[in-house]
Amino acid sequence: MDGLQSLSNDLAAAVERGGRAVFGVNGRARLGSTGVHWRQGLVVTADHTVHVDEEVTITRPDGRALTARVAGRDPTIDIAVLKVDAPGVEVADVADSDAVRVGHIVLALGAGPRASWGVVSSIGEGRHARSAAGELLHLDLTLYPGFSGGPLVDVQGRVIGINTSGTSRHWQLAIPAAAVNRVVDELLRRGRIPRAYLGVSTQPVRLPEALRQGLNLDQQTAVIVVEVQSGSPAAAAGLTIGDVIVSLGATRITDPNDLKSALRPDRVGESITASVLRGGQPRDVQVTVGERPRRS
Amino acid sequence: MNTLIGIAELAEDLRRVTVEVADAGELLGSGVLWPAGCVVTNAHVVRRPEVTLRLSDGRCLRARVLARDSDADLALLDVPGTGVPAATLAEPDAVRVGSFVVAVGHPLGVRGALTTGIVCAIGPLARGGRPWIQADLRLAPGNSGGPLADAGGRVIGLNSRAAGPLALAVPMDQVRHFVRAARV
Repeated sequence: MDGLQSLSNDLAAAVERGGRAVFGVNGRARLGSTGVHWRQGLVVTADHTVHVDEEVTITRPDGRALTARVAGRDPTIDIAVLKVDAPGVEVADVADSDAVRVGHIVLALGAGPRASWGVVSSIGEGRHARSAAGELLHLDLTLYPGFSGGPLVDVQGRVIGINTSGTSRHWQLAIPAAAVNRVVDELLRRGRIPRAYLGVSTQPVRLPEALRQGLNLDQQTAVIVVEVQSGSPAAAAGLTIGDVIVSLGATRITDPNDLKSALRPDRVGESITASVLRGGQPRDVQVTVGERPRRS
Repeated sequence: MNTLIGIAELAEDLRRVTVEVADAGELLGSGVLWPAGCVVTNAHVVRRPEVTLRLSDGRCLRARVLARDSDADLALLDVPGTGVPAATLAEPDAVRVGSFVVAVGHPLGVRGALTTGIVCAIGPLARGGRPWIQADLRLAPGNSGGPLADAGGRVIGLNSRAAGPLALAVPMDQVRHFVRAARV
């Protein structure tokens, strides 16, 4: 009985600890969402729950309402960062999300505090679980209405990710803390969150067996370029329609999602080698990751 | 491993204090053996003045409805001389969000089924509503009136209904208040 009682106490303590950095976010008309005090004065939430572009009302853990400003957003990984003056509110204890393993007991926290629990059911498996955020965490738990943007915490109450049900209706996912850190770091460094892009449209393509053997490729598929935007980084690098992209830097490209996940915000300005097949012949193309022009 | 043994013992203890509430052979819900020869269940479970209770040892007893409050969704039944020790009741305010909880009942006719979860929230679903113990735990018809208990097997609420995947239980202080008032 002691084991169970101590598990119960640990879970309640984790909710209490994690909950000290949890904000309510009122960024859309009907249903509020949840945010995490990630760094002093910066609250992270799910981008799809913030329908406004400037000011958002948020609620501290003690129930007091504050006005926050949208400091940056990255819809590709469903993260928005709000700037707020919140002295006295604890900053989340963010853990190393790379240490998370399938089967770990986790808690999802909503403003209130509210909590649900379950386990990490897989990491990065399936097409929708790979994005510019890297490998997403699949959760076997219930994200109740309003839980999006809230923290996924371990049994010690440390934050290992941001929960979102926005990217897929069928899956409960969390964006790993490492990806959130990258976004927040970019925001602090540049004052905004850039969106990385190459300027190509691609489709998945199967690699012929003979070609794979000849080139010693162990992947079955890659992507074929079907459009190159003029003036884009891809155009500048000389990528053309029909090129088959096999890898980008160290990342193997087996479908368009792999390409997306390789284009993280922090890679803007970086020169990477794209391994392509052109007319069946392999060649390396040096491409500088650009920043997607902002629509005005 | 210890944790697993703990859950099995917990289930056994709670099954002993959980009764089936039936009428004319039809399962209506669950109930909790309360101190002083009573059973507490939901008001929506008992709609007639008398029901049949089936104890975990298989005995069937007739029970009279002593009090019924449909607003609170609580009913008190008189069952003298079961000879079975009553449930252990938790102190009010002993519940914390995140703590481990179990429910025992007869969901969809499955006798003595155990489900586990944690306390999701304490309070109303929407502003101005009635307070619930909201648990991240699965309930189904037949669980109504059964116990929601903590890791020590102490009853913290009476399972009343489900809101999707969320279990809603009448908090212990309300149940105590109802029983006290009904006995006067």
